[in-house]
Amino acid sequence: MKVIRGAVDEMWTVVEQMVGSVFRHGLPLTDKIAARTALTNFVLHIHPVRVRRSWIRMSYTLCLGGLSFFLFIVLTVTGLYLMFYYVPSINHAYQDMRDLQFVVTFGGFIRNMHRWAAHAMVITVWLHMARVFLTGSYKKPREFNWALGTLLLLITLLLSFTGYLLPWDQLSIWAVTVGTNMAKYAPIAGPYTRYLLLGGRAVGDATLLRFYVAHVVGLPLVAFLLMVFHFWRVRKDGFSGGL
Amino acid sequence: MASDFKRFMEDSREISRRSFLAIAGWVGFTVASAIALFQSVKFLQPNATYEDPPAFKPVGDLALPSNYAVGSTTVIIDKRVVINRDADGFYAISLICTHLGCTPRYFPDVTSDLVDAGTQISKDPDTGQLATKANPILPGFKCPCHGSRYFRDADNFFGPAPRPMDRVHIELAKDGKLFIDRSIIVDHHYRLKV
Repeated sequence: MKVIRGAVDEMWTVVEQMVGSVFRHGLPLTDKIAARTALTNFVLHIHPVRVRRSWIRMSYTLCLGGLSFFLFIVLTVTGLYLMFYYVPSINHAYQDMRDLQFVVTFGGFIRNMHRWAAHAMVITVWLHMARVFLTGSYKKPREFNWALGTLLLLITLLLSFTGYLLPWDQLSIWAVTVGTNMAKYAPIAGPYTRYLLLGGRAVGDATLLRFYVAHVVGLPLVAFLLMVFHFWRVRKDGFSGGL
Repeated sequence: MASDFKRFMEDSREISRRSFLAIAGWVGFTVASAIALFQSVKFLQPNATYEDPPAFKPVGDLALPSNYAVGSTTVIIDKRVVINRDADGFYAISLICTHLGCTPRYFPDVTSDLVDAGTQISKDPDTGQLATKANPILPGFKCPCHGSRYFRDADNFFGPAPRPMDRVHIELAKDGKLFIDRSIIVDHHYRLKV
């Protein structure tokens, strides 16, 4: 009997230790516990321990950066769903897109979510930039974060452009023909840049694969890393709103 | 690091072993990075593309020059080429808009709506043709992307296109069939006489 009780006690200690390793601070019953929790918790650490109401006033930030990030998450998740049915080859791409829209259960819903969230993200990112400009939040000491933000805008537009080719309809093909012809007009490196982008002399199978890889791996990865830096700088430079 | 370089530039004998290794390390890193960048770009540049070859022979009825009437315009859409036959011979047009590369489409009438709207249409420099109120209908090409328009002989007259579409090489192969090479741009006076 004693042996069994000892074993149970032992197991219980292990369970307590396991649970305690995840929930390290207990309920935030006092300000002190709440502050310590916020300080040592990765997720909560995104905001400072103390946040003034005026810093995150909706009428000041319009939550545009947060919305952009939220849309990025939506796009990542819905994009992951789409990848289960979409094959980036000129013999399959258009039919797969049609299947997603009309055959796959909830396929049209997921695809529309992806498409509308993409349009919305371009809009919110632009508006976020406008808001930061209008409130003067790009000024010292936040110049570096403004620079990171411009790169994130560029990545957002490139994601939008690369995604535009993937349905492989007439609109996609000629939009990318036009876009890459614009790249060709760049001095010196223009024609070579176009050749690298297309993987050939005209929009074709190689182009579709290139744009797909950039759209689902390359650009999101760069965007994610830049976002980590971007949020980190917000945290370190301090909030610009309300003094 | 910067101070290492400075000391090195001032007097190379003064350099310590530690500084030398630091400089050597950074130089190695920079060179390796440059090589990696070069390799990445070269890797992305295809050496073989498996695209449709630029030279081809029209097939079926379009193979023999005798099947083309004088004054006819024939579009071979999957090759993006137009074959015109005029009184003085054949010539081939690369059907790629000179604005941003879309494919213009043939229409028997590309001028009458402009004439009706009162738009001044410049005279075709090659044929001297001009659409007027009295004679408003001329055949030609319209680009679906940004509305550039070309006369039948590929001279641009409306929209953003900066220059006429390219003329490409056309010749008669030994078997008496037409042979077109889209990779060779020819002068717009070039004609294949049959």
